[in-house]
Amino acid sequence: MVAAQVSVNNLNLVINNKHILSDICFSVASGQFVGLIGPNGAGKSSLLRCLYRFQTPVSGSILIDQTDINQFDRLSYARTVAAVLQEIPSQFNLAVFDVVAMGITPHKRLFSSISLRDRQSIQEALQKVGLTHKQQQPYESLSGGEKQRVMIARAIVQRPSLLLMDEPTSHLDVKYQIEIMALAKSLGVTVIASFHDLNLASALCDSILVLDQGELLADGTPQNVMTTEMLSTVFGVNAEVSLQSSSNGEQIPYIRYQYQLSETDLDLQVSRGRECE
Amino acid sequence: MRVAASSILILVCLFSFMSALSIGAIHVDFYDVWLALWSYDETQLAQKIIVELRLPRTVLAFLAGAGLATAGLILQTVTRNPLADPYLFGISSGASFGVVLLLTIFGIQNGLAMSGAALLGSVCAMSLLLLIAYHKGTAQIESMLLAGVALSFLFNAFTSLLLYWSDPQAITAIIFWSLGSFSRADWAWMWLPFTVVLLGFLSVICFRRHLNALLLGDESAVTLGVNVHKLRLGMLLVSSLLTAVLVAACGGVGFVGLMIPHIVRFFISQARVLGMLMTALSGGLLMLWVDVLARSLIENQELPIGVITAAIGSVFFLSLLMFKKRSATI
Repeated sequence: MVAAQVSVNNLNLVINNKHILSDICFSVASGQFVGLIGPNGAGKSSLLRCLYRFQTPVSGSILIDQTDINQFDRLSYARTVAAVLQEIPSQFNLAVFDVVAMGITPHKRLFSSISLRDRQSIQEALQKVGLTHKQQQPYESLSGGEKQRVMIARAIVQRPSLLLMDEPTSHLDVKYQIEIMALAKSLGVTVIASFHDLNLASALCDSILVLDQGELLADGTPQNVMTTEMLSTVFGVNAEVSLQSSSNGEQIPYIRYQYQLSETDLDLQVSRGRECE
Repeated sequence: MRVAASSILILVCLFSFMSALSIGAIHVDFYDVWLALWSYDETQLAQKIIVELRLPRTVLAFLAGAGLATAGLILQTVTRNPLADPYLFGISSGASFGVVLLLTIFGIQNGLAMSGAALLGSVCAMSLLLLIAYHKGTAQIESMLLAGVALSFLFNAFTSLLLYWSDPQAITAIIFWSLGSFSRADWAWMWLPFTVVLLGFLSVICFRRHLNALLLGDESAVTLGVNVHKLRLGMLLVSSLLTAVLVAACGGVGFVGLMIPHIVRFFISQARVLGMLMTALSGGLLMLWVDVLARSLIENQELPIGVITAAIGSVFFLSLLMFKKRSATI
């Protein structure tokens, strides 16, 4: 059996007396691509925040390579775990090259300057995301998809073994959604990413974690997790799930939403409306 | 390109220094300026004017500009707010309050004592701000900005109250002080602004990667291994100290900290070392020329520095607004 690279045990997160995450347990093997799904406010971002040490859980532990994450110092943790977040810098006229170059921060001492090798790795990362020709342009002038690619290039320069991504594909065109995820997958590192698009998650992930109201409801392959019941209990939608074979012969669940609320749902809404009046 | 830009800048700096020393009520030509700098002859009046009067002023003006621009750059970076300014955080209001207190309660009008009082006042304002912003351990940027604005109003209220009760002579002295001037420049205490500005600039260069990472956002900065809270606190201290010392040395000189980082950012990505160097140097150069203007615009009279910087600053901002609007409509 391959030892898990990430293992999360009985994780609890409480903020302002509110349970954000309760008793989360899961593990991720090295090189896996894991999707994190769940409705808004389910705790996806909070779980990721615990993983990149922005928030400290009240109890439970997170191990990376069998070491508790609190035992890493700041820099060595930043060399192990990189994150692509929704925060977008603006108004500071940063050049694309400079944003990517920020990835070497945890590899550098205070006074040292960028070496030739650093420059090379920045160029390689830019090439990998296909933005070499735009490296001197201001970051703000890029399109949404290009901005995300810059952030991924920055993460590549960081040379992590675990990449965390918080909804990297929201607000992007379909083409870029696929492109970004394929790019993340091609890096060959372990990835934990939260998704809004369930079909995209099914198609790309090796395994899927379903969060709802701070609890981990399901953990397994897309085939096992994406079921009509799950979609109706967690997301509150009626949907059909069919299996489709992908180009490499795998069976991928495909979700078709029914774009009409059922009679009972509508009745419920009407009666709620009356109560409000 | 980098070498070219740097060498042009150094040449401009040298030229500006020489010009600033030669222009004034008594015109001294470049040759005499050169002589005064390298083979000082105390018996020559022109050389004495250069070394005893104009040189300290010019150096102080340059230091003030460079220091305030650096302080502005730091504040804009750590708050991720391009409108942040050393004066927004109540530091200069604290300084004015200190000076007013000295003048009205103790009746002292000594230049050095005024600087000391200003320093005390601004340090007091700065500690209050940090205390309020950090009383829960971590500071939210927004609450910090609001606390700074509130503090500056509070200090202004006290200052106005004291002024209301004081005699007209004190009021004139206060107004003259708060508009800023480099005429108090003196070699005796020049080491203080010099050391503080140098250290401030070095700390920016030293922590430039961490500061840049902060521009991505707090969470991203954490994932790059930056201790966000410590960095922000430390950098706030540096910029407050810069402002406090410079306000004490030359009074209220607004707009430089806000304007210069803005202009430089227009041309150079903020994350570059060159950009940081440019910010400090162009701040210094601007101040140097403002001082020359203040000395020479009206004969036999000195204009307050604050009037010139505020005038240039507001015109600059209006044109920036118009420019932005136009580029947005295209």
